[in-house]
Amino acid sequence: MSWTGRLQCTAAFKNGRTVILDSYGEGALKLMRPVYLDPAHPTLYVVHVGGGYVDGDFYQMEMTLQPDARLMVTTQSAAKIYKTPSTPVRQYTRFSLGERSVLECFPDPTIAYEHARFYQETMVYITPSSTFVYGEIITPGWSESGELFRYDWIRSKLKVYQDEALVLFDHLYLDSRQHLTSMLQLGGYTHVGSLVALSPFITKEVLEQFNKFMEEMPQEVRCGFSAAAVPGFSVRILAYETSAIEAIFQRVQQFIRQQCGEEALVCWRKY
Amino acid sequence: MTDQQLLWLLQLSDSNFPSGAFSHSFGFETYMYHEQIRDAKTFGDALVVYIQTQLTYTDGLACRIAYEQLEADRMEGLKRLNETLFALSLAKETREGTRMMGERLWKLCRDIYGVDELDEIVQTTRSIHPTIVFAAVGRKIEASKRTTVLTYLFTAVQTMVQNAVRGIPLGQTDGQKLLVIVQPYLIHAASIIETLDEEELGAAAVGLEIAQMQHERLPVRLFMS
Repeated sequence: MSWTGRLQCTAAFKNGRTVILDSYGEGALKLMRPVYLDPAHPTLYVVHVGGGYVDGDFYQMEMTLQPDARLMVTTQSAAKIYKTPSTPVRQYTRFSLGERSVLECFPDPTIAYEHARFYQETMVYITPSSTFVYGEIITPGWSESGELFRYDWIRSKLKVYQDEALVLFDHLYLDSRQHLTSMLQLGGYTHVGSLVALSPFITKEVLEQFNKFMEEMPQEVRCGFSAAAVPGFSVRILAYETSAIEAIFQRVQQFIRQQCGEEALVCWRKY
Repeated sequence: MTDQQLLWLLQLSDSNFPSGAFSHSFGFETYMYHEQIRDAKTFGDALVVYIQTQLTYTDGLACRIAYEQLEADRMEGLKRLNETLFALSLAKETREGTRMMGERLWKLCRDIYGVDELDEIVQTTRSIHPTIVFAAVGRKIEASKRTTVLTYLFTAVQTMVQNAVRGIPLGQTDGQKLLVIVQPYLIHAASIIETLDEEELGAAAVGLEIAQMQHERLPVRLFMS
């Protein structure tokens, strides 16, 4: 199968810091030179060199963290999915996390425009000692008529395997033809945020702290969170705008860092 | 269908069948608490979407796949399905509630229907999803795949209605009327389920998922999930 963009990278921990061993991007996907927002651990920006994702686009990404490596990954801009008259846009991502490695990945929102169809599959392989934090936002793009939800559908699967057992499977399917406005679905909201944090640092005590930490939520969002089957939690947010979800993501990320004994919060957003 | 099959299915789908389902609202109580579900109309609307989402893409499709795996004696596939179903449940209460129901249903069906095909899965994973037990019973009594799936859908909906009668509350007659109203939706769902790809398994109803998560922290609760 021919791809539109492909990207691969391996991070390793050497002499007290994380280094990028090999990385390459081909086609429409590129990796910018690592930025050291944290002096010991790089942040990677994934860049899409085209203006957006169009009919039949096919993307592959693979990131491997060797033991003790610590990496932050984000994108340079939102992923804009345009109409896909014949073939949906597909994106396959694979993260492999070695022992004690830490991956924090917060891509910019995915914006699906009129008649867009988008299939995304993210496979994650972790060990009991790795930390995986991933936040994703899906939003509708404005259509010419000004109506929201003119995309056809978005299917996003996130599967996390720990020692070959499937421990978490987040399967989001938003189909504009199927009662998206029902309260069982988006209930009038437009933006969906999903965050997963799995880490041995998230103990029962930390989860109790997290409950308190999440008590005060802004009125304009609907937010749920719950403990995962392995140490960690998932958060699901419905909102009217991206910034409301990002604000919660940032708070959660800050909380995790405090609990994991990390120093100051790195602000990596671009605005 | 033979008379005996009919009697087995009637027993299995009876709301007094002690599967433990009557203790779980699977997130619906959160909507009741916030009065988004407050009468037969609001509950009925939600129930229809519940049938078209959660019951179709997760429980119903899983029941069909389980039936097919059992038919082909693919225990590895069945094990993977069981693992997938638990991984799909992001809300802890729902996950634990399902685990308890599955165990209870398995013990009961092992006793009364002699379903023993699932022993190995239960012993190695210590949890079994109720829909898989249901599929195994369907196979055991030689009900067709479609009949098994439809019975499962009806049973799930009937429990939700009984819970709504207690939780909202609704009149018993309103509850029974709802069971008639949803009939075409159940039949349609059974047909859709036959056509679904296995890759569609588990497509979540996002709002319901949040309601299931929020249920853990409701100040007053009638149900365990």
